[in-house]
Amino acid sequence: MKRRRVSRVKFHEPDQSASTTATDFSFSLTRVAVSQICLSVGYRSTSSSALDTLTLITTQFLQSLAGLAASFSNTANRTEANLFDIVNGLQDISLSTSDCFPGGSTLHDTDAHCLIKSAVIRNLSDFVSYASEIPFAKPLPRREINGSSGGDLIRMLRSPEIKSIPAWLPPFPDSSLYLEHCTKEKSDHLWENSDSVIGRETLQENSKSESARGRRGGRLTQNRAKVRFKVERNQSNGGGSRTLDRWDNKEGEFGRELMVKMKMRDEYIYSGEWSIFQ
Amino acid sequence: MNHGQQSGEAKHEDDAALTEFLASLMDYTPTIPDDLVEHYLAKSGFQCPDVRLIRLVAVATQKFVADVASDALQHCKARPAPVVKDKKQQKDKRLILTMEDLSKALREYGVNVKHPEYFADSPSTGMDPATRDE
Repeated sequence: MKRRRVSRVKFHEPDQSASTTATDFSFSLTRVAVSQICLSVGYRSTSSSALDTLTLITTQFLQSLAGLAASFSNTANRTEANLFDIVNGLQDISLSTSDCFPGGSTLHDTDAHCLIKSAVIRNLSDFVSYASEIPFAKPLPRREINGSSGGDLIRMLRSPEIKSIPAWLPPFPDSSLYLEHCTKEKSDHLWENSDSVIGRETLQENSKSESARGRRGGRLTQNRAKVRFKVERNQSNGGGSRTLDRWDNKEGEFGRELMVKMKMRDEYIYSGEWSIFQ
Repeated sequence: MNHGQQSGEAKHEDDAALTEFLASLMDYTPTIPDDLVEHYLAKSGFQCPDVRLIRLVAVATQKFVADVASDALQHCKARPAPVVKDKKQQKDKRLILTMEDLSKALREYGVNVKHPEYFADSPSTGMDPATRDE
């Protein structure tokens, strides 16, 4: 028996009471399409869990194919995927689903000058020419999608000057919101003097001084959540002395850290609350 | 070189076939609508303005689902029919896509589906095991 790559699918439970989000909406649309395909294959009815599972796998198939194609195009320093990326992605998928797209390994044949020689494309070409068309059963309410779903399916019409921005990014806010603010900022000071850079420098200085002083004080302690440990005094408790022994062994590597920890131990030994320690 | 010329001609033919295939995608309407496919593609960072490529993905997905479903149908048909006492019941027997067949078919495609059989996944499970869809 051939052993194939096996992936697990988390079973998705459709929540009846939840309001229709974009994900639910697209899922239910896919459900309609999948049930149409099942009907065309010859099924007359489905159990709802099986249909849900098949729908989920359909969406996963789409997304994994898209992810593969996108990664292929990104590897080639492109943001837009082309036919080669999709065929490569299909080839990769066909390795795991060899029943669906047989001959997945023939793309990189040296004799194959053209993509149509790829068995996957040939299969799809046959499928298109022989399989009967089943148009989607229901009309897609585009306006309603835009109104109800919070920006997931919104496709804003972009002005031609910002055409270079990919379509999947959220649209820019209205230009009146940021244009004035930007010009004011520019006139005031240079980038080197802006708040972010100054803040970063002070942070670096802080961290330097912090390490010199044994990491006491500084900004970190302000927001750090208290962590409690059950380590007790090393002289009286075996566990504490054991951890100390371990640090001693690593003295070469973590020498400074050890000093810090020793200091902190001296400091907090009676307080019962320790800094992050283990 | 003769071989080179031949391969050049073959390449030309293949190019023509590919162009024809892509052109046929313009006329073909996949079951999964373009907008839906585009939504899922965009979700994974895939960006492409060409409708033909979107349709190619849709067709590939449609083929995948159809293959899985037809495999499950074969499993369903291959299963020995239960002993039916009532003739009326036999008449009612329809082809139902069940988790059992689906998981068998999906295992061939590299997807391992585990689903407890006793799991009541919808309120109507006890009343009507086969909810008719579509």
